[in-house]
Amino acid sequence: MVAGAWICLLSPLGGAVAITLAGTRISRTTAAYISTLTTFVAFGGALIAFFGLWAEGHGDREVVSTAYTWLESGDFRVELQILLDTLSSTMMLIVSGVGGLIVWYSMGYMRGDDEERRYFAYMSLFVFSMLMLVQAGNLLLLLVGWGLVGLASYLLIGFWHQKPEAVAAAKKAFVMNAIGDATMALALVLLIWETGTLGYFGVFDQASSMSTTTVNLVALGLLGGAVAKSAQIPLHTWLPDAMEGPTPVSALIHAATMVTAGVYLLVRAHPIFEAAPDVQHLAAILGAITLLVAGVIALVQWDIKRVIAYSTMSQIGYMFLAAGIGAYGYAIFHLMTHAFFKALLFMSAGLVIHHLGGEQDIRKMGGLHALMPKTHMAFAVGSLALMGIPIFSGFWSKDGIIAAAFAEGDALGYTLFAAGLVGALLTGLYTTRLYLTVWRGQPSSFVSEHAHEGHGEGPRSMLYPVGVLTVLATIGGLVVIPGVWEPFLHWIDESAEPLVKATVAQDYGTSALGVSLALLGFYVAWRAYRAGRQIVTRPGTWHVLEHKLFFDEAYDALFYRPAVALSTALRRNVEEPVVERSLDEIGSGALQAGGEVARIQSGLLRTYAVAISFAVVVLVVVFVAVR
Amino acid sequence: MDGPDVGWYLIVAAALFGIGALGVMLRRSPLIVLLSLEIMLNAANLTLIAFARQHGDLGGQIFALAVMAVAAAEVAIGLGLIVAMARRGMLLDVDQASALRG
Repeated sequence: MVAGAWICLLSPLGGAVAITLAGTRISRTTAAYISTLTTFVAFGGALIAFFGLWAEGHGDREVVSTAYTWLESGDFRVELQILLDTLSSTMMLIVSGVGGLIVWYSMGYMRGDDEERRYFAYMSLFVFSMLMLVQAGNLLLLLVGWGLVGLASYLLIGFWHQKPEAVAAAKKAFVMNAIGDATMALALVLLIWETGTLGYFGVFDQASSMSTTTVNLVALGLLGGAVAKSAQIPLHTWLPDAMEGPTPVSALIHAATMVTAGVYLLVRAHPIFEAAPDVQHLAAILGAITLLVAGVIALVQWDIKRVIAYSTMSQIGYMFLAAGIGAYGYAIFHLMTHAFFKALLFMSAGLVIHHLGGEQDIRKMGGLHALMPKTHMAFAVGSLALMGIPIFSGFWSKDGIIAAAFAEGDALGYTLFAAGLVGALLTGLYTTRLYLTVWRGQPSSFVSEHAHEGHGEGPRSMLYPVGVLTVLATIGGLVVIPGVWEPFLHWIDESAEPLVKATVAQDYGTSALGVSLALLGFYVAWRAYRAGRQIVTRPGTWHVLEHKLFFDEAYDALFYRPAVALSTALRRNVEEPVVERSLDEIGSGALQAGGEVARIQSGLLRTYAVAISFAVVVLVVVFVAVR
Repeated sequence: MDGPDVGWYLIVAAALFGIGALGVMLRRSPLIVLLSLEIMLNAANLTLIAFARQHGDLGGQIFALAVMAVAAAEVAIGLGLIVAMARRGMLLDVDQASALRG
């Protein structure tokens, strides 16, 4: 069981190292196979770990395996260890399973790219980093995985390094994540200070006995990391730009790795957040704001991948909302179903982009359903799951979250409940708009020009993973049917006992509301499409939304430009006149002094002899006198 | 203990040392400078031996022998340098060899 977990962790790392070391000695296809295979081996390991854990009795499903002591300093020690419990084993399955499908898909998508080997090495590294993050047995290892995920995302978003936008997007993602990493590191330092340990259990046991200020600061630091990694407001601006990377990378970032890390952290560190309820509610509020803002922005985007990216932000907002009110099981459940349908949406969007020769603008698309029936099917299933239409996976998880917000009660709970319902309406609107614009109607001139008949929809390595995910996105939610069959929730509850639980009546009532709102969204978007107009018609609103509520511009004005102005002023007033000039002065001064001293050195041997004799005499006199 | 008092030896040694030092400082021929250096070393030897006798300790005598060995080595190098200078047709004048002036 533990061996399975270690295999799961180390196999992708082995793949990344092997591809890197082999370099050009292996063909591109071999690199792709190594990467895919090692990720599926990781999935096998995760399965072994999962079933091993399953066989354990209730309450024993928590195993810590230590490889060796990594750091030791006085009483403080950190071990290289993994924690295997119900939460981490679920995450392992999602990361390695969905990740494996995406890497497999990449084989077809990236075929012919100049640097396929580098790409697959990075992909393996990415999967390894995320597994490290979810399997870490203490907070420091979690931070290691956290940082590695940031690095791998930087490398992959900027994979097409000849594109300046890709490089800028990669830098942006890295900087935004670095802010979160820094707040997390500060929280860990505070924890070491207070508790003298970074082990999960040591820290969690002492969480309730720490002072309110401390625990609030720690929770805030962790929340900062989670917000940055999961692209929640206010650190969300990197996510849409990250679409500059190859499409499978977007799928990997959005579905299996990276953005789900924040949700995982909120659930993993729930004792800390429960000791700081205000911060936990802040997480829920941020999630609610993000889900609304991202949903609204998604209404006006023209890039197929950006629309899906904003929907990810919105769905992660739901997960934050759930984790923030203590519905941990639903947070992870939505994480899983979202991984299925979001990977599916990205991969079918990737098929479309692939088919149309790299075009991502939905204004040029349209009427594709006849040309790509299989992909159309997959995309439709993904859209239905995203909208939360019954029996599709998203229905079971999203409505559960909204119902939990209702069950939370009080002003906060009802506000979050309302936000969740409005989010469901928005989801219906933007999903329908995207679906109709891309797939319905007559093929546009651009499409008929670029779509090659009889060419198939894509290579088999791309279609099979999409097929698997279509099935998963359809039935993947059937592990939780409220009131009847909830094994998934019970499984997660063993790691994180939920704070709220909706009653069955609340659950089905919310579902009815949520589905009708999603259908209303569908209807409105369909009407708008039929009438040939956009959903957002006021030009002023459109302008604001198209600029994503001016977050980038605001950050530019708040941080970037003041920093540049300050630097310029410092250069002009300090660096050039003070530092540079004084350095010149010091140099020329030393030169001059040297010239003066050099005159003493006459080169005349006899002068030296006299000087030495004189000095000896003086020394002797001084010596005698002092004695 | 036979012979004159140790003070006399010291006076002779001081005189020799002074002569040697003046020779080093005043003469310009490298050969004479070298010679004067030897005189200074031997003045030091004399004091060593004088004190060795006074204390009845052979250490000083042995040290004097060591100084002689050093002096021999020094002369060998010094004379070698002077011969080399002469062969290159340089003036045998220490004031002329001032290329290391700052």
